[in-house]
Amino acid sequence: MTPTLVSLLLVLLLAAGVAVALFRDPLAAVVAFGIYSLALAMLWSVFRAPDVALTEAAVGAGVTTALFLVVIARTSGRSAETVRSRSTVRGRSLLVVGAFVALAAWTVPALPAVGDPSAPAFQRVAPAYLARTPDLGVANVVTAVLVFFRGFDTFGEVVVVFVAGVAVLAVFRREVSA
Amino acid sequence: MSDQRGTDGVRSGSGDTRPPDSPVITEPVRLLVPLVLTFGLYTAFHGTSSVGGGFQGGVVVAAGLILLAFAFGVTKTRDWLDRPAMVALATAGVIAIVAVAAGPLAFGGTFFDLSAYPFPKAVVYGIELVELGIATTVAATVLLLFLELAGGDDA
Repeated sequence: MTPTLVSLLLVLLLAAGVAVALFRDPLAAVVAFGIYSLALAMLWSVFRAPDVALTEAAVGAGVTTALFLVVIARTSGRSAETVRSRSTVRGRSLLVVGAFVALAAWTVPALPAVGDPSAPAFQRVAPAYLARTPDLGVANVVTAVLVFFRGFDTFGEVVVVFVAGVAVLAVFRREVSA
Repeated sequence: MSDQRGTDGVRSGSGDTRPPDSPVITEPVRLLVPLVLTFGLYTAFHGTSSVGGGFQGGVVVAAGLILLAFAFGVTKTRDWLDRPAMVALATAGVIAIVAVAAGPLAFGGTFFDLSAYPFPKAVVYGIELVELGIATTVAATVLLLFLELAGGDDA
């Protein structure tokens, strides 16, 4: 975990995030958002969370970008007007965002260091998960937690995904007959 | 690379026929998609022993097929990934998970207690079946979202 690499990725994240907010052209904003997701995916893999990195790259940079593109294509698209108009930032908005960022940054020193074994999150159930996973014959602890220890939560998440599909069909008033 | 191109493809993909994309787009996609699908299936099936799982694998498979839709047209893709099939797959995934999770009840266990199955390595196979269900539901739902949002009203 090299600090230089992390700093570079954080700068890229920040730049992409600001670019998404400032671009007037929806297409450019979507591309910047894809860059944001890819930078975040790289950051997760630097932090040794490859499962999360894979999800971020596939969902954030891949599928979400594709969904945004088709929605832009179906709705207004890019009109010459929006592309040409300059984006303006109001002083009041800047003040509110700045205050919020300062408030969030103020809490950062209270967080435990990355990977700190004495962090509260590693104190309660995590040791039990780590101790029991090898007995299950499962090498990836993340999978064991997701499907075995927390199977009911994961089931709920899958149903949420399923309901999203049902909702889109309902909104478009599509019916499927067997 | 293909963003502008992709948007055009989707825009004209809803309804009217369009000229095929340039080989610069279609040939790399033709080469890439089998690799993406293989990687997605590997990720989905190999979740117990390496990085990944059903969710990631399902999304990667769906992303590979979306790439196909961008290169060769949404209408053409929808011809063989039609709505009833996608809905059936999404439902089948959820039902498969419920079936695997409810099975232990018959052997005196609790819901989702995969270790109650009286087979050797039941937990590993149970997890892999659940991952397969997750991958099926996620891939089918993502494709459904994409194709419904991209499609015209006549679809």
